[in-house]
Amino acid sequence: MRSHVGHTDVVWQTAWNPTKPLLASCSADKTVQLYSYTFTSPPLFSVATNISTDHTRTVRSVAWAPSGKALATASFDSNISIWEPSRDESWEDIDAEHIEWECVGTLEGHETECKSVAYSSDGTLLASCSRDKTVWIWEGVSTPKFILFIPTSKGKILVQPDAEFECLGVLMHHTQDIKHVAWHPKEQILASASYDDTINLYVDDPDDDWYPVAKLIGHTSTVWCISWSPCGNYFTSSSDDLTVRIWIRVKETRGDRWDCIKILKEHERPIYSVTWGKGQSGKDSLGWIASTGGDGKIIVWNIMGKGADIETIKLASLEASHGVSDTNSVSWCLHEGMENILASAGDDHTVRIWEVIPV
Amino acid sequence: MQLDNANPIVFQSAQESFRLGNRDQFILWEDEDKDYVLRDTMEDEPEPIDEQEVFDLIRSISDPEHPLSLEQLAVISASQIKILQNTVHVEFTPTVPHCGLSTLIGLSMRVRLLRSLPNRFKIDIKVKPGSHNSENAVNKQLNDKERVAAALENSALIEVVERCLSTANRRGSVVIESNE
Repeated sequence: MRSHVGHTDVVWQTAWNPTKPLLASCSADKTVQLYSYTFTSPPLFSVATNISTDHTRTVRSVAWAPSGKALATASFDSNISIWEPSRDESWEDIDAEHIEWECVGTLEGHETECKSVAYSSDGTLLASCSRDKTVWIWEGVSTPKFILFIPTSKGKILVQPDAEFECLGVLMHHTQDIKHVAWHPKEQILASASYDDTINLYVDDPDDDWYPVAKLIGHTSTVWCISWSPCGNYFTSSSDDLTVRIWIRVKETRGDRWDCIKILKEHERPIYSVTWGKGQSGKDSLGWIASTGGDGKIIVWNIMGKGADIETIKLASLEASHGVSDTNSVSWCLHEGMENILASAGDDHTVRIWEVIPV
Repeated sequence: MQLDNANPIVFQSAQESFRLGNRDQFILWEDEDKDYVLRDTMEDEPEPIDEQEVFDLIRSISDPEHPLSLEQLAVISASQIKILQNTVHVEFTPTVPHCGLSTLIGLSMRVRLLRSLPNRFKIDIKVKPGSHNSENAVNKQLNDKERVAAALENSALIEVVERCLSTANRRGSVVIESNE
């Protein structure tokens, strides 16, 4: 385990770059830290860059584009910012440690605190959510530079000539704050988790707008986080009701149905974060789920089985992952061969790196 | 401004606390040598935080709409505080079941405890069951850390909280003067 102090306030979330050895973390100190790491066992981390951001309040969420070439930040100041490398070097040649990131666009639209941001699997869409009870879907018109449009009552207006992001839809299907958005790993399906205790799933109607295909009821309090299984047939959710749930997609002629097939009750305080990675338990495994929350505990499960008949095998349980503090986020490393590496973020201002070692 | 509860019932404050500050006064009556020894002991072995200490921390917080303390309005009492290992559970009783200021009162208590208690303590703040029309909504909001964090970045709200907290360090020892 390695602990990294760099932030001066609560760290809310971390995100692993899908293509470069970079880890991003965001904090109430309004900055984003980028750490580079080595492909050694264990990996060695060092601070690469500190993006001070233009956000005027907590940076709550951070997300990488699937290409790794862009970073989105969501803030309590209600804005989303998009960051790209400032130099025009080819991404393949660029040295992760020495990238300078510049803001290429600010997406304004939410009325209150923005809580989560996520890129779709093909990188063309961005989703954001807020306390204002809406999910916004944005389409990026890619490279070389963007132009940003904002929908208003008078139609779309040009806000910033440097970056282009068009809003495709504003989804208003929750009755309370929306805590988290997560895209399906392969298809254009979006899931949102809310303070209204429900999970919504949305798809695009080719002839019309984005619309909700399902509202999942089961959690008995705020749903904090959602993470899709690598295969895309399942997702997991974590809640203030102290449970982690696993949901399965059931294909039916009239469309998909989503059923809760597992309820894991191991935490004693609200479960703020859950992450589903490939894991290292071979091809019969559906991957590893890790969860954490206000009790500071990190629990790792191996998910085995097929269809609705799955088994959850507890691999590890770690108390006090951030000392006496709450742990706000966990996320699995995406790099091949490092699927057992986990990053956590805590109220103690640190980011910690964990390696799950079989015993 | 329309008050949520224009005529609250005022209760006599409980006996003032015999902890910390008062004990220091006792020490001053002892001879000087002994005084120093006692003080050292106190620094080495800090008093464990118990229900009374938590009550002392929040009893003198001012009500947002009356120049009275939460204790005087019987919004909180020592018996409504429970500590289980490192979890502090505070239950409070809004003066009226439709009190729109309940979340503000709860937030003030949370801020006071966040600032005063060692950070090993987790804090749960809830209204007394049956004492508020929107009990679940109030409880949910007060215990959502993200909402609390966002609220604490709101300068207008923080200003109101600070006003409520300006009397908090009286620890029940001074009766707040009422208007006129």
